[in-house]
Amino acid sequence: MIRLDSITKSYLTLRGRKVVLRNLSLEIPGGANVGLIGRNGAGKSTLMRLLSTVELPDSGTITTSGTISWPVGLSGGMQGGLTGRENVKFVCRIHGVRGAGMRETVRYVQDFAQIGAYFDQPVSTYSSGMRARLAFGTSMAFDFDYYLIDEVMSVGDAGFKAKSRKVFAERLQHSRVIIVSHNMNLIRKMCDMVVHLDAGRATLYSSVDEGIAAYQEAATA
Amino acid sequence: MSDRGVLGTRAGSRPARTPFQIQRDVIYALLIREVSSKFGKSRASFLWVLFEPVAHLVFPIVMFGFALERTLPGIDYPVFLVYGFVPFLVFKTICLQTMEGARVNRGLMSYRQVLLMDVFVANALAYCSVEAMVFAVVLTGLAMLGFDVLPSLPMEFGGVLALTVLLAFALGLLFGALTSVVPDAKAVVRVLFIPLYFLSGILFPVSRFPEEWVQWLAINPVLHLVEMSRGAAVTHYVPMRFMSLEYLAAVTVVSLFIGLALYRLRALSRVTT
Repeated sequence: MIRLDSITKSYLTLRGRKVVLRNLSLEIPGGANVGLIGRNGAGKSTLMRLLSTVELPDSGTITTSGTISWPVGLSGGMQGGLTGRENVKFVCRIHGVRGAGMRETVRYVQDFAQIGAYFDQPVSTYSSGMRARLAFGTSMAFDFDYYLIDEVMSVGDAGFKAKSRKVFAERLQHSRVIIVSHNMNLIRKMCDMVVHLDAGRATLYSSVDEGIAAYQEAATA
Repeated sequence: MSDRGVLGTRAGSRPARTPFQIQRDVIYALLIREVSSKFGKSRASFLWVLFEPVAHLVFPIVMFGFALERTLPGIDYPVFLVYGFVPFLVFKTICLQTMEGARVNRGLMSYRQVLLMDVFVANALAYCSVEAMVFAVVLTGLAMLGFDVLPSLPMEFGGVLALTVLLAFALGLLFGALTSVVPDAKAVVRVLFIPLYFLSGILFPVSRFPEEWVQWLAINPVLHLVEMSRGAAVTHYVPMRFMSLEYLAAVTVVSLFIGLALYRLRALSRVTT
């Protein structure tokens, strides 16, 4: 369960304050995979950042009964000067995973990412594909109740994609996802309900098709 | 490969940490990250960290050492220089690191455990230890050349350094908040450290200036730090007039209050662009 209680979020721009989400209240029931859809600039990514607490709302509260991941596949938190192994260790440390747990996590990511000797090379020498493999592997090494996914699900080559999908499907046995995407097929496949964001308001549709219809109507209007 | 990810890392099955434990873990992780990204690549990187302060010390010693020797009663010029330069270096490093900390470590904010303050604290701790090592190396070098380098009032000297760190941290927070609103101010702050270097009496005693200037120069808290550090280091060194611990403490407390208040305001809106 995730409950948003009268969330307002605005940004200061050169032309004054722009309110992205205004007085938004929403309750996402537990056990549901949710898609966030809406036009560009509707506030999907802002809502995502609020859920991952990268940013805090101007006012209002977010309560949740479970744990929420950092945005999956994120590689922004990686230090280019450090090796892949050191970066994974860092994520372990901030999550309080030490000793044997850390060794096991590092081994899991190493096996998963399959970037060979590059695992012990600075991340700045990685190709974008290797970076994505490492980031996705790190996300999968930690269990969360909710995984936040912002658009990017298709990283790497065909083999890696297939493996990511498989691991992710297994993970969905007991975890839920919140997805931001413009890919309606992905939303249909992964989600049980959708939240349609439009003009600072959010509507929860328990039928995915209804939500998508509302989005398409708003997008073409 | 089990679908559990990794045994023992399931967020829910681990014992929940208290906020204090989380902060401790995060600061520890950041410290390791900071130190290994700075020194992990090659041993030469430590030499480079050492080079800057040593260069700052060697050139003035060679250039002014002989001229000032006779006019500085009760203190050897190299000792005068080192005990003036070290607080300045600590001040500059921590102030600038704290100011830049938010921008440089923006990516880290995606992890919910990491707060900006953790980054600042870890940075300050890392640079304190780096500067302490540099200081130890420089003092050992001077001792080997036959100078009496150990501070005669070690507790007072430690206190002055602690005040230095606090003031630098506070001003770093303040400048950080300022430059998050006006990014161009960063260059101005950096440039200001050059006149500050000369106005803080590191190369030569500021007390040589005319009396009516000196009372204006005494507004600069770094000058107080520098002079008091020398006073704590050498028994016979008398810090110049107008130096006062009360003034220094007051400036530090006020800056810390403003710095933390701005941090709080900024953290609440945490705009990270």
